Parts: sequence; structure tokens; C-alpha cells
Amino acid sequence: MEANPKQKIVFFLTGRREGTGLEPVTKRLRPALLARYSDLTALRFDFPVLLNEKGGTADSVLSLSALVDRASEEMGSDRDRIAKHGYRIEHQIRKDLSDKGAGDFTVMWESAVKRATTQDDDLLRDSGDRLFKAFEASGRLVDVDSQLPVALIQHAWGAVQAEKAKAFREKADRLLFKLKEVLAAEIVGSAAGRTPEKLKAGVGASFADSFDFAALSKILVESTPGSSLTDERRRRIQRLIQVLESQKFYAREGEQGYPFSFTSSSEALQAYQQRHEDAVELVKALTIAELESKGDYHEATHSALFEGFGANGLDASELSQLPDYLVCTDSHRLDAAEMSHIVELLAANVPIKVVIQTDDVLEPSIVAEGHVALGLRARTLVDIAIGLSDVFVFQSAASQLYRKRESLLGGLSYPGPALFSVFSGSNDHTVGIPPYLVAAAAVESRVFPSLVYDPSAGEDWASRLNVDDNPQKDSDWPSHTFSYEDEKLQSLSETFSFTLADFMAMDDRFYRQFSVAPKSEWANGMISVPDALDRKWTGVPTEVPYIALVDDQGRLQRAVVDDRTLLEAKRCRTMWHSLQELGGIHNSHAERMLALERKARAEIPAAPMLVAEAAAPLAPAAPAAAPAAAVEAPAPETLAEECHGDDPYIETARCTTCNECTQLNAKMFAYNENKQAYIADPDAGTYRQLVEAAEGCQVSIIHPGKPRNPKEPGLEDLIKRAESFM
Amino acid sequence: MKTTLPSIGASECLLRMYDEKHEIEDYQKGVPRWCTGCGDNAILTAVQKLCRDEALAPEKTVFVSGIGCSSRLPHYMNTYGFHGIHGRAFPVAEGVKMARPDLKVFVNTGDGDCCSIGAAHWIHAIRYNMDMTVMLHDNQIYGLTKMQASPTSPIGTKSNTTPRGSYLEALNPLTVTLGISNVSFVAQVVDWIPDVLYQVIHAAYHHKGFSFIRIIQRCPEWLPKLMDPWLHDPQRVMLLHHENGLQISPSLAKVYTRMEEHDPSDMNRAREIASSIDPIPVGILYRDDDIPCYEETRHDSKLRTTSLIKKGLEAELDKFTIWPEGGKPA
Repeated sequence: MEANPKQKIVFFLTGRREGTGLEPVTKRLRPALLARYSDLTALRFDFPVLLNEKGGTADSVLSLSALVDRASEEMGSDRDRIAKHGYRIEHQIRKDLSDKGAGDFTVMWESAVKRATTQDDDLLRDSGDRLFKAFEASGRLVDVDSQLPVALIQHAWGAVQAEKAKAFREKADRLLFKLKEVLAAEIVGSAAGRTPEKLKAGVGASFADSFDFAALSKILVESTPGSSLTDERRRRIQRLIQVLESQKFYAREGEQGYPFSFTSSSEALQAYQQRHEDAVELVKALTIAELESKGDYHEATHSALFEGFGANGLDASELSQLPDYLVCTDSHRLDAAEMSHIVELLAANVPIKVVIQTDDVLEPSIVAEGHVALGLRARTLVDIAIGLSDVFVFQSAASQLYRKRESLLGGLSYPGPALFSVFSGSNDHTVGIPPYLVAAAAVESRVFPSLVYDPSAGEDWASRLNVDDNPQKDSDWPSHTFSYEDEKLQSLSETFSFTLADFMAMDDRFYRQFSVAPKSEWANGMISVPDALDRKWTGVPTEVPYIALVDDQGRLQRAVVDDRTLLEAKRCRTMWHSLQELGGIHNSHAERMLALERKARAEIPAAPMLVAEAAAPLAPAAPAAAPAAAVEAPAPETLAEECHGDDPYIETARCTTCNECTQLNAKMFAYNENKQAYIADPDAGTYRQLVEAAEGCQVSIIHPGKPRNPKEPGLEDLIKRAESFM
Repeated sequence: MKTTLPSIGASECLLRMYDEKHEIEDYQKGVPRWCTGCGDNAILTAVQKLCRDEALAPEKTVFVSGIGCSSRLPHYMNTYGFHGIHGRAFPVAEGVKMARPDLKVFVNTGDGDCCSIGAAHWIHAIRYNMDMTVMLHDNQIYGLTKMQASPTSPIGTKSNTTPRGSYLEALNPLTVTLGISNVSFVAQVVDWIPDVLYQVIHAAYHHKGFSFIRIIQRCPEWLPKLMDPWLHDPQRVMLLHHENGLQISPSLAKVYTRMEEHDPSDMNRAREIASSIDPIPVGILYRDDDIPCYEETRHDSKLRTTSLIKKGLEAELDKFTIWPEGGKPA
């Protein structure tokens, strides 16, 4: 295979392959930086995750690896053995999941324990059982695939709603109890509640004949005036009880409640509108019931106020008592009407959480062939939502959902609208590459950057917008060291950036925009994509951009990138720059101010003292003074030696690790990080041991110092023996 | 080692893969059975420090030895190791390097193993100039077999085989090595100056070719007093320094004041220095980076692709498979 520089330049400029020198990219190639991830089942990482059904919201999503690590830590002396077995079981589960995508955790764990046991291995079974017991978790185990984003967010949303439901029920039950108490008290205190029959029923059968209930009734009715509610209040309380008991927002077990999870915003909007009156009624009932229960409801004041309750809608804190609406949809279903509905819902500040799943960020642009939309629809919604200011916005690839779970739960608990845009990494065009890697690569290549916009985090943009979860967020592209062996199997390493071009090379629709060049051409005018983006060619370029790929045999290749791809990479970088700037990185205003400040400082005449200091090394008189100072100043080693005083010490740098002293007393003498001896604790032994160690040291570097315990026997002799080591 | 499996970490981003970093203890395996005070301990520490500082992957590092006290060293390294047969450390190491040029090969041999029974292999190993770091642990006695004179024992050494004192002048490993064609790196150190020991092993490791270091070491068990005159009198050690050789630290220069600037490319002067027994010259005597390595001269251009490696491994494993009647199915 031979190619000449002209062929590469023609390909770069036109996308045409002339002659036989350049080869098309195929599915056998993938970006070089992904080479070490050819088998994800052999690695430990965030996924699979458990959608946990036990525990609270914080534990609703758990990583299998983190679970194993956490449980292993509690295993005491068997920790290492159990952890190793845990890794084997984990490995087996990853293999099983790569075939079927998701499954019940208990079933999968048991099956993996059986499958990981190659023979009758009681210890592995024991480790498996003990680990599982320590997990105290159950639910579905899910890997990154097209189902994950919705499944995970729906589960986490369910956990948040369960907590809200619990809080609501506690409040509603408390209020119902008190309201019913008010009604019961009225009956008990009335004449009807003090009839002889009622009084007799009140004391029970044992004392039924002990009292004259007729007389008792007469005395009670005549002596204490009965209290009774006004009709209006009674009706109001009865109405409150009815509203609280018949509400469908938080259905009790066995009851039919309202559904809150939808697959389109129009359905959610319709449901919201239909239930609006009920919602107002319920919130109103809760508010009045609270006042009633405390006896603070004053008809003269409150009746008029509550008459028009909810006429202007409910505010966020009122709505936060009710369940949130969840809409899970795909970006390809985002037509104009759907987008418009979503924007309306988000702008209306209703408690709705919208999840947009994107499976394809490289869908072709309508502009021209070979250009990409870069997740246009989801991106547009995110931009609009951020622009609305009080919408919580979360954007992430599926691979980061676990590590960003706190932000995710924060968004789901946010008392207002929230938008979640997630790239699943699962599509038909990235052949043979696991969705987890595709998702992670999308974040790396800046095509689907990670961001969280939390309106409750502060007053300014820097506090609200967080882009910290993007790799090497200060750079245009993340760079990584790539180590490999050459033909002679010698180790080499290079630094590669992961760019949009690398991401596009994973997609079979764009294979034709890359051409593999023979190795003979590598040194001939091939530059990296980041370098090419900074070049300003005039006329025909003399260099072409390339990306590094590896084939299925592990061989490193270089592929020339065509002009269209470079243009898309430039566009992607520009969008990333905008996001960086919004996130407070390389802020143009701040940089302009900094440049002005630097310029101003440079123009200020330097202080005389600073000039003198700067000039000193160049001044003719300095050389004469410097040696004198050097002679007088004690060397650092001398100083160090002098500092020991009467304490014992070892010239550690000269230690030959011969074990003489450490075998004499391992507490007194220890090795440092370079495996050379020092005195770890002079009081961990006797002066005799110090002297004997000094005598035994073959390189005579132990200095016993003065005795620390004046009562030690035989000191006179020992001091004499130590003299030669002082 | 930090982990037993490659790991991304429970909450790490994918492409920031866990990089294994090793401490000296990670390269340590077992408890050395050498006598207390033995110079082998100092050599072990120096190579472990080198492994740590160069971040050598244990699975890409191999220590090969023959027989003797020194040759126990591979047992104490948590890397690959080959405790070979007497005098045959070099052929084994050459085989390893030939088949796996990607491995970092170290050879630990003793004065008996290298200069007596293994002398023929030693000479040809120098000539082959394969990329490996060779440490000759020269304690001038057979220690493992309890005190017999070795080729490097000084004349007059009383031992179990020479009760009236040895009759022959000691063999000088430095002059022998420097006399062989294709020699590319020769150095000498003493085990009791750890700073220099490490520096020289470090330089030898970075030299591409057969890097031969004679390490004069003490044997506290069988020749406890032999090196005392040199040990206690720094004037009897001559440090060789040069911009292309050893760099002497100020603290070392304070103790070892006897120094000579020696250009390691000067073969004639290297041979003169090599002949000196007292003072002991310490440093890099000779180096030539342009000598071709045998494994490169005989390099097989076939790429070791994953399918080739798999095919080779399967062929090896097939040797241990019991096939059904009629042999391996087609």
C-alpha cells in the first residue's frame, strides 16, 4: 500500500480517494484511546447499577462495584478473600448482562455465583452468600443500553415521589385525626352525647349496674353547658375530611390514583389541566385543615380569603406538596408541537420533570451531506430551558448517570420544573462498540457535554451552571497518554486528544470521511485534529489532519480526516467554548479585564527594591560577594547533622538495607519509603540496643547519641563503647 | 499493589482509567533468606527502587538468575522470574529477550555462576549485546555451598577448597568484559555506597544493550573482614565521574574525595582503570550506545497481532489437551 502526499491532500479537501494508497475506514477500527476498553466485562466501573427498592432516595441507585467494595469492607479478617470472590462474581454478572441487558439482582447474583464456581467451591459460595446478605438491597440490575436513561430516572423519580407520598400521608393522617377529633368532641359534649344510654355504654359491662345513669345524665346536662359547632364550621370540617380522604394524588394501597408518568408532554399537559381543580381543592383543604387543627381559622377573616383560593394558580411551594409529573420522551419524537408543549410546561413553572433521551447525536443535518446536527433538538430545549432561568437543567451521557446521581436526585426533588437531557449511547451506527463507551466518548469529544443548571444554587451564573463533570474542562479537548509497543515491541507513548472527529469515526455513516494512510506517510505532513483546527492555510494546504485508530488486531493506524469533519469539529469546539464561558472558564470578559490589568501593571515603574533584587545576579560586584557567603553558610547536611544534638540518628542515605539493626529491634529501627533505615522510636528499646546496632552496622552509619534513660544498667560501659560512633 | 483487577473506580469517568502505581513493597515478595549484613540486600533494594521509579509493570519485567546466593534474588521480586541452572542465567535471559523483546530483562548472577561454570555463556552474552541489565554480585566466595574459593577470590584466600590459601591471581571481571568484542556498557560499584549503586543500575537500565555491572559486595558470613580496609577508608575508593557517566552528589563528594573524571567512551583508559584493584574504581567505565543488539539484528518482522498471539497460545495449550481418538479435530 503506497500513497503520496497529494492523495492525502485531495482526500482532505474533497473526500475523494484517488489511487490505491488510502484505505477506507471500516468497523474493524476504533479510536485509539478506546483500545484498552475492548472488553468492558473485564473492568470494574460504575455499571451495571442496581435500581434499589430498599432504602431511601439516596440509596435508590447503587453501583454494583461500589456495593461489593462497601460490603467487602465489613468482612473483617476474611475481607481479602471475600473481595476477590466478589470481583469474580461481578465479572460473571457483567458477562451475563452483556447478553441480556437487565435482570433481577437476586436472581442474577445467585446465578453468577453458580456460574463463577468452576468446581465445588464452598468458599466462593460462602463469600457470595455473605456479600449478598451485607448488601441489604434488591431490585433490577441494569446496564447502559437504550432502556437505561428512562428506567433509571423513572426509578429515581419514583423514590423521590415515594418520600413525598410518605410526607403527605403523615400530614394528611395527622390532619384527618384532628378534624375528626373536633367533630367527635362536639358529639360527646352535647345533650345527645350525655343521655343515660350513652353514659352507660361509656363505662362498659362491668359497671353497668353500679350507677344511676339517669341521675348522672341529668346532673351532667344541667351542670355543664354543652358545646356545639356552628353549622358552617361543621360543614367545612366535613368537607375537608371528604377532600382529604377522597383525593387521588396520593392513592392508598389498593386504591386507584392519578397516574403521573407520561410519554408525551401533551398527555401530561392535558392531565394537569384536568386535575387542576382537584389540585387546588386539595391544597386549599390542606391549608384550611392546618388552621382548623390549631383552632386558628377565623371565619370572619379566612372565609373570604379562601373563597378565591387558587384563582391565580398555585405557587411552587404549594404545588410541591403534590406529586411531580414525569414526561419521558425521545429526541426523535420531538416535533414542533411537542417541543412547544414542553417549553410551555417548563415556562409555566408547574411541577413537571421532562426527560429527553437522545440515542443519536450525529444525525445528519438537513444543511448538506456529511454534516451533523450535533443533537440539535435536545440541545435547543436545553438552551431554552436554561434561558427560562428557573428551570433545573441536567444534561449528561448515560455513562455518567451514576456519578452524577446526586445532581439527578437534586433535579427530581427541585420544587419546580426540570429538564433532563440524556444521551443513551445506544444506536445502530456504532457497530460493535458498547453503548457505555459511546456515551462516555460523547462527553469526551464535547459533542454531548455534561452540565447542571440549578436555579436554587445561587444568584449568579457561576453558582448555577456547573460544567465540572466534563473531563479536562479547561481544555478544548481532553488529552490522554497512549502507550503502545512498536514493531520491535519497545514501549512508546504519545498524547492523543479525543475530538469530535474521533467520535465520528465510531459511526458507520461517517466512515467514508476518513481514510487510513500507510505508515510510510505518517511523518509526511500529518498533524493532529486540534493542531489542524488552529492552522490558517492560505492556498492549498501542505498538511492534513489525522486521528489515531486501532484495528481489531491491536495495530495502531492513522486516518486522514476530511474537510467536512474538520469543520464539524470546529463547530463543536465553538459550542464547547460557549459553554465553558457560561460555566466561568476562559470567560472573555474576565480575560479582557485581566489583559488590561496586566498591561496597566507593566506600565507602572518597578519599585526600586525589586529592581535591585532583579539586577543582583548581573551586577559586577556580586560574584565576589557570593563565594564568601557560600563559604560561610553551612551546608544543609551539616545543619541537619548538628540538629541531632544528643538524640540518636542514622545517616539514612548511606544505609545498605542489610537488616542488621531492624532485626535487633524492629520498633526502634524501621525502613523508610526507599527501604533505608531510620530511627522510628528511640524509646522503643534500650541504649544497649542502640550501641549494639551501631557496632553491628557494617557501614557505621548509626549514631547512638546519649542515653535517654539514666537508670539503664551498665551505662558507663555503653557510653564508652558509643564514643567511637559520636 | 493497589488492586487486583484493572479498575476504573466506582465513581470515575471512563477514560480516566486507574493507573497502577507501585511502591517498593509492591515489588517485594517473601522474606529474603540472605544472611544479615549481606550485600545482596542492598542490591535488592536498589533494583526495587529502580522498578518503582521507572514504574515498571511487574508483568513486563523479568529477573533471571543462575545458582548461588545472589541467584535467589528473583524469588524476592514480585515480577516474573526465572531461577535457572548453574551458569546458565545468560542463555535463559537471551531466550526470554529474543522471544519477548517487550520485557525488561535483568540478570542476577554471582562470581561463581558467571565467571566459573558460566564463563563461556558470559563471554558470548557480551558479544550478543542483547538489551538486558546484568548485575554480577561479586562477593569473591562461594557462599551458598559454605565457603569455597571462586574465580574472583583474591590470591591467598583460605577456604574449604583452598585451606592453605588460593594459589591463583583473581580473575578480573571488568578486564574480561572489556576485552570482548561488541562490549557496550561496563560499570563497577560497591554495595556499601547505595547512592552510587542505584545511579549505576539506573544508567545501566537505560542503556540499550548488554549492561554489565560488577557489584563488589560483602559476605559477612564467610569473608567478614575482606572488604574492611575499603569500607573504612573512603580514600581507597575512586569515584569516576563524567557528564556522560556518574554524577557525584555534594554529600558523597564530602566523604569520597578521591575522584577522577573519566569519559566512558575512552576504551583505553577504561581498560587501565579496570585493572586497578586498590583503589577500587567505582562508576561507569565504558559505554557505547551504537553497538547493535542481537535481538534487533535478528528481528522477526512478523507483527505480534492479537490473533497471532492467540494462535501461539492455543498451539501451546493444545499440547496439554487430550484429544479424542484420531487426534485434534480439523
